[in-house]
Parts: sequence; structure tokens; C-alpha cells
Amino acid sequence: MVDELQFNPQVQVLKVSYDGIIKETDKNLFNWPKQSSIFDAHPFFEILRDFEQSDHSNHVALNFPCIHIEDSDTERICDITITFDKEEITIILFDYTSKYRDLNQIAQQKNESILLSKELELKNKYLLEKEEFKNSFIANINHEIRTPLTSILGFVEVLETTKLTFEQEELARIIKRESHHLNALIDDMIDLSKIESGTLKIVQERFAFRDIMNGFRESYSKMAEEKQIIFETNIDPNIQEYLIGDRTRIYQIINNLLTNAFKFTEEGKISFSVTKNYQRTNKLSLTFKIEDTGIGILEENLPHLFERFSRFDQDKQIPGTGLGLAIVKNLVDLLNGEIKVTSEPEKGTTFNVKLPFKFEVTKTTPGRKKKKYTLPESSNKFRILLVEDEEITQYLIMKILISKGNFFVDIAINGQQAINYIERRKYDLVLMDLTISKIDGYQATHMIRNNYGDKFISEVPIIGFSGKSNDTARDKCIRSGMDDFIAKPFEQEELMYKIIKQIAKKAAE
Amino acid sequence: MKLSKKVVLLGHFGVGKTSLFRRFIDNEFSQEYKVTLGVQIKKKIIQLPDGRELSMIIWDAEGHSNSVEDTRKSYLLGAHAFIYVFDLTREETYLNINKDLEYLNQNYPKVPTKILGNKLDLVNEKETSVHLKTNNIPFDCLTSAKTNKNVLDFFSDLAEVIIK
Repeated sequence: MVDELQFNPQVQVLKVSYDGIIKETDKNLFNWPKQSSIFDAHPFFEILRDFEQSDHSNHVALNFPCIHIEDSDTERICDITITFDKEEITIILFDYTSKYRDLNQIAQQKNESILLSKELELKNKYLLEKEEFKNSFIANINHEIRTPLTSILGFVEVLETTKLTFEQEELARIIKRESHHLNALIDDMIDLSKIESGTLKIVQERFAFRDIMNGFRESYSKMAEEKQIIFETNIDPNIQEYLIGDRTRIYQIINNLLTNAFKFTEEGKISFSVTKNYQRTNKLSLTFKIEDTGIGILEENLPHLFERFSRFDQDKQIPGTGLGLAIVKNLVDLLNGEIKVTSEPEKGTTFNVKLPFKFEVTKTTPGRKKKKYTLPESSNKFRILLVEDEEITQYLIMKILISKGNFFVDIAINGQQAINYIERRKYDLVLMDLTISKIDGYQATHMIRNNYGDKFISEVPIIGFSGKSNDTARDKCIRSGMDDFIAKPFEQEELMYKIIKQIAKKAAE
Repeated sequence: MKLSKKVVLLGHFGVGKTSLFRRFIDNEFSQEYKVTLGVQIKKKIIQLPDGRELSMIIWDAEGHSNSVEDTRKSYLLGAHAFIYVFDLTREETYLNINKDLEYLNQNYPKVPTKILGNKLDLVNEKETSVHLKTNNIPFDCLTSAKTNKNVLDFFSDLAEVIIK
């Protein structure tokens, strides 16, 4: 860079003795006095200490480009040439300050842009790591929260079966409602975290579309009756009974939007319609329209409606996590659909969701309804082995089972103990926690299924239970040889249904 | 006789050589990046454990883009130690470190080189140490000119090395 400079510099020449004393100077640039030490002028000149007078003939001339020399308040950027004679050292300073400053600006811009892009890269990496941490944190905390929540919900249900005063009944109802709300919040957080981390899998399964829509009609009609508002549904009769899509996520989207409409509508009407947009070969597109006469949304809030934790109503009595619509929007995107909203304050809100589906051109299957099971006739009580290490859950399940009057319950606190019990006694069913110590629930099941010739042992019905995420845990349970799975927190009715179902199925074999 | 030793700060641009220089000399730090053109030189007197005073002359040389070979030879002349600084957050500032060290060792065999990873405040110290060791990246010290972590200790240790 120095060589490229066209210059007309100011120059200062100094003659210095080998012990550093300034003999001559023109003071053109720096006001260093004669007879003073050059070593005190600037630390650059300390380099001269290395050169001995006796050896001067061996010293070559030295050139130092672009040296910053400060003196009092001024700084000059100089090229410095040093030559060695017998008696003295000659130092010539060429002041290129202005030229170097111009170059400095160019170098600054160039380096800054490189550093900035690196900084952005680093920030991006940091944000990704933070996001990963957040997602794994949520997934882990999920289990820790669900376990005590199971106990709270379970014991409230047990409490409700006892004799309560009106006030106690009301308090139990509040605890139950709030626990369900907390559970819904955890579900929302998990879903959102899965969506953001890209781990939420969209499945394509054949499902009874009309059954789901009828289910909405039935359950929300009851709610409308309670709220004394009108609930109208209009499902296009030309839509196939069975469609192919992600049943769970479609249910979640519509349920969220309907729940919202009911939350914010105190009078008037809520309409829910499904219409067919088009149908080609085995594909079709549907529009779900949910229209209410509720409080509506201000125009300026509409662009933020699908953001996380956005709640624009001032009424703190209306429950909600502020995550529902964010999840809806993300799910619609994942399903390659579209969602639009129009709203007017005090008039109401309309959501239009367009979703693509597939359907099978020929196959038809009758609707599948939840089959009813009853405990088989028996003169003895049914013996259940509960494998669980948490005392509170042990107590809860025992309380539920014993209150029914048909069951004996043994408790094992780890997988090894469970195996020991099963070897000694015949059980009608095993309730197996998945995260027990020593041998976990999956391993214990694997051993029970594979290590025994006795069918009473190897074919005992096993239901796994856990606070971990449903889909993965359920699949793993079934793969390891269990008959069913129940996620924490569970309701008494659901637990009993699954237990009775497995015992009845076994008895029918 | 007065003890005076020249130490040259080397390394890629933007690794924080000037920040270390300013932190050590004036105990100052600025978040703003200012490119160094040429070389800035300052002196710091250090009290040695044996009571002597060492005048450490620090040459803060402009950073290079590729290799330490790009640094002007005259800046390295008469050096008593080199400090090779790299940026812990920018891999490209230490990818060629072994080649650079070999160059210094071949051309200045008597001059010790100390290696310093800077910007420790921006990374996780444990993870970074493991990463450097796993990737065979040599270093003598990890510092943060911003927080002043390990800076003074590093220069004190260096002073002892160069007077030996």
C-alpha cells in the first residue's frame, strides 16, 4: 500500500548519537529538543538500542513504513528510514498522515463488512443454540410437570366422589378446571416447541371426517345451550365420509378456532361451515369457516393475531394461553393450507381456513365407534400389579382401583421387583410406569414377553403410562410389547376404560 | 542497565490485538472496531518479581488477512517475543495457526511465540478449550480484552519468559 502512494511529504531529519542523544534536528514534524534522548521521544526509537557503534559497518539501512508517532496531542503516521554511519545514526521521518488516513478508511470499511457478516453468523448460531436449549428444556420439564398434575387431577376426581359440601364441591371444581387449563398450556407449549424445532410430524392417515365434524356439532351445541347463544353448522353433504390427512392436527385447528369463538361470544350466533372448493382425481380442498358475533378485534391488532402470547381482550376472566392461534397458524402452514381472518370490534370475527386433503376413490369402511367393555364375571377380585416408584401416583391409582371394589393391587417400585412379583403371582394386568429405575418399563415388558414359557406371565396384559409426549411413548410401548398406553395426566374414566378393556379382551381369548 | 524488550502482537485483523494492547497499557476498552494501519507502539514498565523494572515495548502490528508472512518484516526486527492472537469466535483466524507458527519458528528461531485466544467473553470457556484441543489448535492463554480476564496475568508471565 505504501509503495502505491503518490506523495509530497513533510520530512524531518535527525542526527542521533549511538547512545541516543539528538545531535541535530530540523523540528519540521516533532519538537524534540537537541541533546535530549531519542529514547524518551517515542518508544519506537528503543529499537536503536540494539545497534552498537563498533559494528556500524554491518548495519544496513532500515525502512519502517506506517509508524504511528505521537507527540503531546498530535499523532503523525510516518515512514521512517534509519541509516548508520561511523559517528551517528541518521533518522528521516516522512509524514504521510493524510494519505494513510485515506487508506485507513478503505481498510476500515473492508474489514468492518467482513467482521459484521461474521458477527451475524455468530448471532445466528447463538440463537439456534438458544432455541435448541429451549426446546429440550420444554420437553424435559413436560414430564416433571405432568407427574404432579396427574396426582392433582386424580385426587380431585377421587375427592369429587366423596361427600362434599356445596362450597367444597365448588372448590374441587375450580381446582379441576385450573388443572385442565395448566395441562392445556403444557400441550400448547410442547406443540409450539415441536413446530419451531421442526420435529412435529404431519401424518397422512385415513380418518372419519364426518364423525369429527359431527363430534364438533354435538359438543359445541351443548356449550351453546349453556351460553344461550345460537350454534349453526353446515357441512357440505358432498364431502366424502373418509378423508386422508392429519386427523389430530385438523381436529386441533378447528377445535382451537371454535373454542376461541365461544370464549369471546356472549350473545348472538356462532356459525361453523365446511365447503368443498374443488375436487380433482383423489384430491380435494375444503374451506372451514368459523364466524361469530363476539367482541371482535381492532384492525391494528389483526396483523399480530397469530403471534405467540398475543391477547388483545382486556378481560382476564376469559381463560387462554395466547398460544392457541399461533399454533393454529403454524399447523395450517405445515398442512400447506391458508388461514384468513376478518373482524370488526363489537360485530364479530370470521376465520376462513383452507386445507388440502386426499381421499380414497373406492374403499369405504363403516364408522368405528368406541366399543364398550365390561369386566368379566369372576368370583374373585382382579389382581393388578402397579409398577411405579412415585409414592403419590401409587397412592392415587390404588385409591381409584380399590374404590371400584373389584381389584387387588400390588405395588412394585422398579422393573426388577416387578419381574420378581410376576414370577411369584398370577396377575390380571400390569400397569407399568415407563421411567422406573433399575430396569425401565420397556425393558421389563420385553423380559416378561420373551423370557417365560408360562403364558400367564408372558401374555399378561400390560398398560404403559408416562408423562412423556404421547406419540413417541405410545409407539415405543407398543413396539416393546405392551398392549396399550395412557398418558399422564389421565382421567379416572379413561384409566378404568383401558384397564377393563384389556382384562375383558384377555378373558375373551 | 535499563531492561527494554520489544514484543510484537501478530494475528488476523479484528482479533482484538489493539484491544489487548489498550487494555494492557491504559486499562481501557472500546467496543468500537478501529482498523490498525501500520503499527502503533507503546511502552509499559513492569515491576519484575526480583525488583527490577522491565520496559516492555509493545508493537501492535496491523492484522493480516491470510498469513503472518504478510506482516512487514521490519516490524518483526529485533523482537524479543511474539504474541500470536486469534479470535475464539472466528475459526478462520486460527485455521492456519500451525503454518504461521512454523514460519515464525523458522525465521525467528530465538524469539519465543506466545499464543493467545481472545474474545473469551463471547464463548463458553470449557467447550472452547475442548474444541481447540480436539482440533490441535495450540494456545497458551485464553483472554478477554473486554472483561480484562487473564490479560494482566498473561503479560506478567510473558515478562518472566522474555527476561530469562
